[in-house]
Amino acid sequence: MSEPALLEVRDLDVHFPVRRPGLLRSPLTLRAVDQVSFDVRPGEVLGVVGESGCGKSTLSRALLRLIPVTAGSVRLRGVELTTLEKAALRPLRRSMQMIFQDPLASLDPRMTVGEIIAEPLKALLPRMDRAERQQRVLRMMQQVGLLPAQINRYPHEFSGGQAQRIGIARALVVAPELVVCDEPVSALDVSIKSQVINLLLDLRAEHGLTYIFVAHDLATVRHIADRVMVLYMGRVMEITDRDALYARPLHPYTRLLLSAVPIPDPTLARQRRAAPAREELPSPLALPSGCAFRTRCPLADARCVAERPILREIDGRYVACHHAEAAGA
Amino acid sequence: MAAEALLEVRNLSVCFDTGDGPVYAVNGLDLEVRRGEVLGMVGESGSGKSQSWLAVMGLLAKNGRAEGSARLGGEEILNLPQRALRRLRGDRMAMIFQDPMTAMNPFLTVGRQMTEVLECHRGLSRREARARCVAALESVHIGDAARRLSMYPHEFSGGMRQRVMIATALLTEPQLLICDEPTTALDVTVQAQILALLDELRQRYRTAIVLITHDLGVIAQLADRVTVMYAGRQVEQAEVHTLYGAYRHPYTEGLLRSVPRLDQPRSERLATIPGRPPDLARRPAGCPFEPRCAYVTEICRQRMPPLVSLGDAHLRACHYDGALGRAEIGA
Ligand SMILES: Nc1ncnc2c1ncn2[C@@H]1O[C@H](COP(=O)(O)OP(=O)(O)O)[C@@H](O)[C@H]1O
Ligand code: SF4
Ligand code: SF4
Ligand SMILES: [Mg+2]
Repeated sequence: MSEPALLEVRDLDVHFPVRRPGLLRSPLTLRAVDQVSFDVRPGEVLGVVGESGCGKSTLSRALLRLIPVTAGSVRLRGVELTTLEKAALRPLRRSMQMIFQDPLASLDPRMTVGEIIAEPLKALLPRMDRAERQQRVLRMMQQVGLLPAQINRYPHEFSGGQAQRIGIARALVVAPELVVCDEPVSALDVSIKSQVINLLLDLRAEHGLTYIFVAHDLATVRHIADRVMVLYMGRVMEITDRDALYARPLHPYTRLLLSAVPIPDPTLARQRRAAPAREELPSPLALPSGCAFRTRCPLADARCVAERPILREIDGRYVACHHAEAAGA
Repeated sequence: MAAEALLEVRNLSVCFDTGDGPVYAVNGLDLEVRRGEVLGMVGESGSGKSQSWLAVMGLLAKNGRAEGSARLGGEEILNLPQRALRRLRGDRMAMIFQDPMTAMNPFLTVGRQMTEVLECHRGLSRREARARCVAALESVHIGDAARRLSMYPHEFSGGMRQRVMIATALLTEPQLLICDEPTTALDVTVQAQILALLDELRQRYRTAIVLITHDLGVIAQLADRVTVMYAGRQVEQAEVHTLYGAYRHPYTEGLLRSVPRLDQPRSERLATIPGRPPDLARRPAGCPFEPRCAYVTEICRQRMPPLVSLGDAHLRACHYDGALGRAEIGA
């Protein structure tokens, strides 16, 4: 706890105006990220989980300033990023990189593998000479398990797993400190997924990387993350160390997510199959009053309708729930 | 296990004509589906799961050909004329897909799409058809069904759309429901609901369900028997508890060991299957899993292992007879 955070996020809001039919109607506000605060410690993997539409990708993109921030603060090693001018973003881009979910869609089909991996070097380190750039690209390719002979191939010639290796090489070639991985293995097959997760863990050890690892698969996150942040409807529900979270989830939403993860064991799976979740997500344009989760929560009461729970510390974990003590019991 | 076979598939192959010559997506599939059971089919993408069942349904792409046999209730249905197939599809078998949007017309209300099925196949009046649709939506637990009939597909969430697809498929009370990755695009919470729904429907109507998925967790929850596919071939088939507890194929072992799972202690590294699936355009003489297998011996390269019975309805295609347990950790 004593080491200063690498990334500090405070009260971050990302809102989108949504037009309504009818000329005179004012647009509604979609709060995709709503008052989100967390720290990322140097060298850790922070897992971010939640159902689709809960703001995981919006948060990832906002951290990198790929989309505008509405309010709040994001500081990397103490430097405020939300107010940086465009020109001043270059050093930020070197320190923070992103890996995307759909490997093939995120690679330019007209560029060769070599060009794709070299591109961030050209953009962010324009003074680097050609020979050195080529060296770096080749070294990076080798580290992610691509062959030097593949340098002149095009993305469509690669399988999903190989394409994701290209995406990883492109993100790491500028030697960033923090890598935001947005569902990097969700689109991959089981046997390939585990290869890529192991690769990410190796690269983290070799390069001293810090990851924000976004995923909807809680079993994968348990494997890779040191701490986990649970998002629901743009809000933080819980932030807890991995082992504590999986052993004893305190937030009712965390419990719901965990109880739905399929278990590849027919005996256990059938014992558990009793109680699937009630209800689906509310509309993000018409969130319930009080606690956003209350329409699906088995513990909801009048206080949950009236009062939005704040993120508070309980036994070294952070939970936004009025009845967290009861839920964890 | 005396239940009679509803569908018998024998030596089914699917071949596509491509610019690079013929590509065999499925080779010699042999299985049956019994009334009221859930048959799981698991394998990675490209292993031939979808094409096997599209062939049975008569829905292959134009450049695809099916060979072999598929008998529904004793009657040959493979490669029937399109008219006969269309009638079968509306009546005795139905298929739902990962993305319900692809099977829906975005410009028609859900009610219109559903009633059309009944008016075509059952000759019901508009009013009767509507009442049946309301009942069908209610049976998949869609509340406020009458009002929902006048909504468009995009007004439904992904999970609701999949429920609508299931309701539509069930309108004609099919004996066989083929579900191709029905929950892959959904969140785990919604997935759990859809799986519970399929289980309920199977019990209520004794519909036989084929559950196609790459997810061993989904299969474990619902399937009675499981077939494992690799590179267009069945490599193992068994009753579900046997498959998970006493698998005998190296590929099944690799798959089961590479899944991160919450019911076991966390390991530092995940087991992996090195390499990747083969290119189907090249047809190896030997075992298609050979380049990735930890148990490979000379014969594996020379001869294709046939699917043979190990007793107790357990089948597998592998030359290796020794103990498993050598799956690679951490490559
Ligand atoms: N119209 C087509 N022409 C050529 N190849 C095809 C066609 N449709 C599917 N295939 C090939 O058939 C193989 C099996 O595909 P599929 O059954 O969809 O696998 P799965 O459902 O297991 O992911 C794949 O290699 C796929 O590319
Ligand atoms: S605050 Fe209330 S509704 Fe929200 S999670 Fe806690 S108990 Fe449930
Ligand atoms: S036949 Fe040989 S290569 Fe194929 S799975 Fe068995 S041991 Fe491995
Ligand atoms: Mg498929």
